[in-house]
Amino acid sequence: MATTANKNINAKLVLLGDVGAGKSSLVLRFVKGQFVEFQESTIGAAFFSQTLAVNDATVKFEIWDTAGQERYHSLAPMYYRGAAAAIIVYDISNQASFERAKKWVQELQAQGNPNMVMALAGNKADLLDARKVAAEEAQVYAQENGLFFMETSAKTATNVNDIFYEIAKRLSQVQPAPNPSGMVIMDRPTERTASAACCS
Amino acid sequence: MSSSDSNSSSVDDHNPNPKPLDYQFETLNLEQGSGSTIIQNDVDEEGRQQDQGSSLNGSLNVNSNNHEQDDGIGLVRGVVLRRTNSEVEVDVNGPSSPSSSGYAGERGSSGVSEDDEIEEVANDSALHEVFDSQAAWLPGKRHVDEDDASISWRKRKKHFFILSHSGKPIYSRYGDEHKLAGFSATLQAIISFVENGGDRVKLVRAGKHQVVFLVKGPIYLVCISCTEQPYESLRGELELIYGQMILILTKSVNRCFEKNPKFDMTPLLGGTDVVFSSLIHSFSWNPATFLHAYTCLPLAYGTRQAAGAILHDVADSGVLFAILMCKHKVVSLVGAQKASLHPDDMLLLSNFIMSSESFRTSESFSPICLPRYNPMAFLYAYVRYLDVDTYLMLLTTSSDAFYHLKDCRIRIEMVLLKSNVLSEVQRSMLDGGMHVEDLPADPLSRPRSASPHFGEHQEPTDSPRRFREPFAGIGGPAGLWHFIYRSIYLEQYISSEFSAPINSPQQQKRLYRAYQKLYTSMHDKGNGAHKTQFRRDENYVLLCWVTPDFELYATFDPLADKGLAIKTCNRVCQWVKDVENEIFLLGASPFSW
Repeated sequence: MATTANKNINAKLVLLGDVGAGKSSLVLRFVKGQFVEFQESTIGAAFFSQTLAVNDATVKFEIWDTAGQERYHSLAPMYYRGAAAAIIVYDISNQASFERAKKWVQELQAQGNPNMVMALAGNKADLLDARKVAAEEAQVYAQENGLFFMETSAKTATNVNDIFYEIAKRLSQVQPAPNPSGMVIMDRPTERTASAACCS
Repeated sequence: MSSSDSNSSSVDDHNPNPKPLDYQFETLNLEQGSGSTIIQNDVDEEGRQQDQGSSLNGSLNVNSNNHEQDDGIGLVRGVVLRRTNSEVEVDVNGPSSPSSSGYAGERGSSGVSEDDEIEEVANDSALHEVFDSQAAWLPGKRHVDEDDASISWRKRKKHFFILSHSGKPIYSRYGDEHKLAGFSATLQAIISFVENGGDRVKLVRAGKHQVVFLVKGPIYLVCISCTEQPYESLRGELELIYGQMILILTKSVNRCFEKNPKFDMTPLLGGTDVVFSSLIHSFSWNPATFLHAYTCLPLAYGTRQAAGAILHDVADSGVLFAILMCKHKVVSLVGAQKASLHPDDMLLLSNFIMSSESFRTSESFSPICLPRYNPMAFLYAYVRYLDVDTYLMLLTTSSDAFYHLKDCRIRIEMVLLKSNVLSEVQRSMLDGGMHVEDLPADPLSRPRSASPHFGEHQEPTDSPRRFREPFAGIGGPAGLWHFIYRSIYLEQYISSEFSAPINSPQQQKRLYRAYQKLYTSMHDKGNGAHKTQFRRDENYVLLCWVTPDFELYATFDPLADKGLAIKTCNRVCQWVKDVENEIFLLGASPFSW
């Protein structure tokens, strides 16, 4: 890691959202500059890291790209615990995914780190013809809940770097001191986790 | 008996002069395998074959001959329920009657009925098998547009279903689960009808179709097949499918059904079609699915030792299992003290990892359950591909161990690169394992060093290692085409590479099915464990030899000489012994940890 006079921030970032909203596509676009039309569904969670320089700080993102599948919902705390930032992703052509996004926001507000920087990403912005969720509606919702909102397209790369850059900027303002990253250890009996996985 | 049955049971039919061979069989001196000898029991082979046919149903079958005679006539139609030892077989007679040749009398609509006749023929044609062939296999679910009314759906040779005890579909190999609700309900009705009588239904035979049931608490699994596989094999496949489901969800999914009997489980398995279809596909190419053993990638002893040493290091630091694999073959594996990994769990885990593309893009940390280790609890798997085929799995009980496991992986990867393990792995993948053509000459007539070893790159021109009987056309000496050697103590097997006559995935699948039949008959508790079996049909000669230490399954040219075949099997065993350091993972038996 660079040891300049600049601030070095390690930030854990988690992506949450419905199946097929495009979480993995967003991450792959941001980290690898890639896009595949038929992205396979994620198992558990995939880990990536990427560093961004903003103003006087270097932000090293440790990104958890979680699976949107229902069976993993109850395991989400394992990934968002201790996260400094979250991107909640929905698909602008799918109303249900927007509703699911709101649920994630509620859960993070209740369970997550109170200082968490939260972003709402309306993905698949290139699918204008299939739009089901109005940008204004999402914008209003985001404002009411203290999130910042962007419509993104992993396919065309629109706003993808921007949303991560914006998060990095906010993190560098929020956190004057380096944030000790890593997961907070909490004892959750495996049994309970497992059963919750199925009956949430 | 149907014609196909008599084919498989025509032992030594082609042999014009069996007596001298029997004599040879008897007098051969078999010196391998810690004093085990092939026991001469060829005389009653014909009688045993009869048992074989009926052991498809195990103790269930009462009248298989009966209905097979009816097969051609098809005038009588009726359902007969028989109860033997509290197990039930349902015989649906008269399969040429159009409405009954569908599964369990389901949907005998007149529009479909004419095609049902074709079904019987089409099922045997090689053309139809293209659907199942390895070459044509693509991951993921196909034919989702089908349902039980589709002719194409009804023609599929092998269906697998998972449903809930309330009859809700959970998974179907072909077709859309939701459209199969009616069909699922029918299956559920059959199961509960028999259960209401205080019995359990295991198998229904309807003409060429076998319907195999497996009840696992609130989850029912059903296979409908006309592949002529033994009942035990199909049941074993259902067990693996159930295990795969447990690996994804754990057995605590049962609680959802306690709370709500009509619980819909399909959303919980979202995105896992590819895992199940890949497992079902492996039934036709991966012998681990019926041998209950795993296989290692052949490597020089030192190379595997180096890999094992670094895995040992991390296993001491809170890792439950550290497994390094290349495709479905183990490079090395290490378990924490007293933790043992069942070969079936390894099969299901590697199938899960290899079939999910998502593991290839980055490092992953996912909950998985090892059904044989603990079906109730999740473990956490750190998975990372080190190259295109080689992947490392670090399993732990702690959900917050990711960063630790990531560090472990970095250490392991560094050591593996430094000690050239990864490049050796790549080379072994290219070279392949044991080739029957390389079977060394008679152990007594050759110097020890001539035995081919792995990882010692010999020039192909090194002629002594290429031994061929002068009269053998293709394959190895004495018409040896293929073999599988399973070490019972190690729970590992080695399968020779496929060559000349058995080239296509279709032929390989047929051979594995034949091995599967052999395996089942050799492990049939009712008939007592057989020591040897020698079968000849128009496709090949199969020789099976079971000892307390190992099992050998060998395939020869159908015209192979029995005496020579037995001699060759002894040489194969010697060869395996000579190279066991390279083909097996020694000192890693789960029982020795």
